[in-house]
Amino acid sequence: MPEGFHDVAWLARTRAEGDVAAWLERLPYARHIGVSASPDGAGDGLVFHLEPREHNVGNILLPALHGGVVAAFMETAGTLDLMLSAREPRLPRIVDFSIDYLRTARVVPTHARCRLLREGRRLANVQVTAWQESEDQPVATARLHLVLGALEPNDA
Amino acid sequence: MPDVPPTSAGKWRTALARFVTVIPHTRELGLEVLSVDPPEVTMRLPWRDELLGDTGRGLVHGGVLTMLLDTVCGSAVLCGLPSPEVCPTLDLRVDHYRPAVAGQPIMAEARVLRVTNAMVFTEGTLWQEPGRPIARGIGNFVRLGERNTPVGFAEALFGELDHA
Repeated sequence: MPEGFHDVAWLARTRAEGDVAAWLERLPYARHIGVSASPDGAGDGLVFHLEPREHNVGNILLPALHGGVVAAFMETAGTLDLMLSAREPRLPRIVDFSIDYLRTARVVPTHARCRLLREGRRLANVQVTAWQESEDQPVATARLHLVLGALEPNDA
Repeated sequence: MPDVPPTSAGKWRTALARFVTVIPHTRELGLEVLSVDPPEVTMRLPWRDELLGDTGRGLVHGGVLTMLLDTVCGSAVLCGLPSPEVCPTLDLRVDHYRPAVAGQPIMAEARVLRVTNAMVFTEGTLWQEPGRPIARGIGNFVRLGERNTPVGFAEALFGELDHA
């Protein structure tokens, strides 16, 4: 199998290097909506970014970003943040996802920061906050439950 | 059962097909409206490689499913109200039952469960093979009311197609 999430050595190496860009390259939908990540200036984690692309718009009257695109951005952020901060390199699979919309997401750059609230042997709980101009005025909060899968092909 | 406007299912199909074509994100992805039986809507997202999450295993990005549920539940809201209002999503919860696989369209169905003065409660389901749901969503939408709905919103939905 070529380099990718199911190549244990590749996953361990990109994780050690903090190469989240290599992970994003292998997530076409995240690329389609314009997700990127950069080191958090205020800590040792990451801040994720969503570009205000024209095709991310969901409401042309306001205009505003598509709420589902904001959700997809936050889900991507939560998953990749967990892959980086988990105790060992593992491939999480999402179990469920919940999002609260707090403010209209305008068509400007959107950012997200994640908190790993629990990392058990099999399950993780990740909280994600997204904001635009000001972090103390979030546009949405979300949380994900993920199964920390073994690195082997799985059933459908 | 919520009240539904006295508009035929065919007119609603045309109106919601226009709705998802006006939304840049779903227009770009080619989302189709298959049928509308107010307050129930069925859509189809054709396959394209941009939907992938895990390229190695050929699985759909989970965020695509959330986006699709938000869209199909939000569309059900429009046809589940006495007259169409702008209703932003308050919250959305998605349960992932099994992975969605590359190469197949994704079907989406949603219905309005309850309308109150303030809220519209919905649920939606996604599948690729009948009887094998890939995800289920519960979406709650806020009614902004007629006063906050732009004049001509319903007319824009039901107006004649430009290229008809």
